[in-house]
Amino acid sequence: MSTVVFPGDQLHYDENKPLNIGPGVYCDPKSQKVLPINAGSAVVSDSKKDQSLYIDYDSKRYIPAVGDLVVGIIVGQYTDSYKVSLSSFSTSVTLPYMAFPNASKKNKPTLKIGDLVYARVSSAEKELEAELECVDATTGKDAGYGLLDGGMTVDVTLKFARHLLFDNSFPLLPILAKHTQFEIAIGVNGKIWIKCEEVKDTLACYRSILDCQSLPVSNHKNVVKENFSKVSKVAEA
Amino acid sequence: MAKDIEFSTSENKFILDALRQNLRLDGRSFDQFRDVDIKFGKEYGDVTVTMGKTKIHCRISCQIAQPYEDRPFEGLFLISTETSPMAGPQFENGNSTGEDEVLCVRIIEKAVRRSGALDVEGLCIVAGSKCWAIRADVHFLDCDGGLLDASCIAVMTALLHFKKPDITVLGDRVTVHPTDEREPVPLGILHIPICVTFSFFNPQDTEENIKGDSNAEIAIIDANLKEELLRDGTLTVTLNKNREVVQVSKAGGLPMDALSLMENCYKAYTITEKLTDQILACVKEDDSKRNQYAGLLSSENARDAT
Amino acid sequence: MSRFEIYSPEGLRVDGRRWNELRRFDCSINTHSHAADGSSYLEQGNNKIITLVKGPKEPSLRSQMDPTKALLKVSVNITKFSKTERSKTSHKNERRVLEIQTALTRTFNKNVMLHIYPRTLIDIEIHVLQQDGGLVGTLINGITLALIDAGIAMFDYISGVSVGLYDTTPLLEVNSLEENVMSSVTLGVVGKTEKLSLLLVEDKIPLDRLESVLAIGIAGAHRVRELMDSELRKRAEKRVANSTN
Repeated sequence: MSTVVFPGDQLHYDENKPLNIGPGVYCDPKSQKVLPINAGSAVVSDSKKDQSLYIDYDSKRYIPAVGDLVVGIIVGQYTDSYKVSLSSFSTSVTLPYMAFPNASKKNKPTLKIGDLVYARVSSAEKELEAELECVDATTGKDAGYGLLDGGMTVDVTLKFARHLLFDNSFPLLPILAKHTQFEIAIGVNGKIWIKCEEVKDTLACYRSILDCQSLPVSNHKNVVKENFSKVSKVAEA
Repeated sequence: MAKDIEFSTSENKFILDALRQNLRLDGRSFDQFRDVDIKFGKEYGDVTVTMGKTKIHCRISCQIAQPYEDRPFEGLFLISTETSPMAGPQFENGNSTGEDEVLCVRIIEKAVRRSGALDVEGLCIVAGSKCWAIRADVHFLDCDGGLLDASCIAVMTALLHFKKPDITVLGDRVTVHPTDEREPVPLGILHIPICVTFSFFNPQDTEENIKGDSNAEIAIIDANLKEELLRDGTLTVTLNKNREVVQVSKAGGLPMDALSLMENCYKAYTITEKLTDQILACVKEDDSKRNQYAGLLSSENARDAT
Repeated sequence: MSRFEIYSPEGLRVDGRRWNELRRFDCSINTHSHAADGSSYLEQGNNKIITLVKGPKEPSLRSQMDPTKALLKVSVNITKFSKTERSKTSHKNERRVLEIQTALTRTFNKNVMLHIYPRTLIDIEIHVLQQDGGLVGTLINGITLALIDAGIAMFDYISGVSVGLYDTTPLLEVNSLEENVMSSVTLGVVGKTEKLSLLLVEDKIPLDRLESVLAIGIAGAHRVRELMDSELRKRAEKRVANSTN
């Protein structure tokens, strides 16, 4: 259930239940009034005990928040950490060498400048540079993070990336899967990494993701089909 | 440039891999120019050119000024190309000393101004004391590569479209007639230069490029931003419909075989022909739209119309 | 200009050359052995230039440091007295000079093996003492000689030459008189190949004539390469002879 709201609008939720607020919502400390601070669609999810409220808004610039899964580019190397860029022209974030599985003083990760990594934001204070980790902090084990080898990245809007990652009913990935096998890593920073066996298939996925971004869900099937047939035509020629 | 757009090695490798298989990111073939869309504003000489996501606006203005002392019979013509962060965060405000910016500005200068595309002698009003000063302001609104090609199209279309107010000269007295009083007069355009930019990629190692005979370098026309950032070399050919090379600039970069460069020039010619026709058609269409009642007012005989 | 006959019916040009003749080419290397790591003095016709190569050295600014390869910097100083008439303004920040610098940097970026000198700066300084047409070509030759003198690893020679087109006749190596009345092409040719690292056409040339212009230009550039090569070999032999004595 979602409604379009503008900053300062009245939000509708059940006032008798405890409320968890998410991104785009602000609680005035004085009056305890809950106000939207971004324009988007307000999403209220109800459970028996409490309810949560956030605003799903679209933007292009990513601001790190704890727990986000991101795709970053290594842009620098220091004595005990990497410098990682999550989007061009934004402040870079750090990825300490110790935030890798089985890391120790002697056992250093072997990423190079220009490599892509899949990581989780571990701390994001607005006064400090955000930090990433490539390890599941609770178990200390590898959790699918780390180097993304080869493939291609697609830059999409943040909202689209979130849909792809969280919305299980979003049809694009299953449609792509019908055409080819692929590995994918979706960063909520608007970077999607995708890799297929063959370059042409990766390219078809790349174009499909870009095209589908601005199209209604119902068109996705045709767009993907068209892109795949186009690249195979060129490959045959 | 303030800060560069960051690129991963994977992306870099992928784009090259795709090029090896004759594939470009946006689905074009290697020698396919993007579709050019030309839109006119309300006034004469107000043009917006869109090529893919690249968008350029050009506005021509004129005023009466004094000619240079050493060239009393020539009017003034100035092209102002200022990059601003409006085109993309990689451009810095007020700083146009970056390598690419300087090259871009110089090539537009050479292609349009130094090649004599505008008849500056026709701008003279009173020799030595009064002439028209024509100014072309190019604004880069959005950058997705091919700024140079697009701005050349924009400037030339705007010059063709522009009309300056009519004047009467009586001795030293010059009367400028407002456009609503007397039909304004178009500028004298001698030829229409069109820039076509090629981007070179080297699919092998450097040594093979310099020493080898394979000449397997890849040349693509009208690169978009990503391709532009990754290319190893570029060649900008400016031609006009009279089969004249107006300007060629291959400022270093990947060494290319002379014969393949010649081939590129011929490819550029077909594009030049097409674009020239498109520009002329657009200007003509706009002109007839503006003058849809001219036929009614005209005192011409019917036989002239045929 | 009409008083001059640019190309006489007998096939002679203003300075007495024929269409396919180069100008006098005098070069020497290691001219400023104390001031720079590599240097050359080159006279090509009436063009006179000094080139100094400093490096590979530690960059003075951290921003000039690239951890993977050396940075190449070219600065061209066109002196005020380099033409017949003394120029009032310094040419330093003229767009034309910036363009030349960029073109030269990009030409040599691909030819010098920058990856074997990481974290360094190679600073090339050129002083133009006198100019008489076809300057960019001369600059390329000067840099090639100075880089070789500095012992910096390169793939091959790059030789520069200009070609004019007078009506339908291509004229090899234009001087400033010729440059002013006809359109000219500047080429930077890699070694003995037919590969062009640099190609600049600044004025109108019929498309169908371009090929013949390029052909004569490449031949001229190969000849320039030979001239540079023989001078360098002569130098080297002299040096070897001196050291064994």
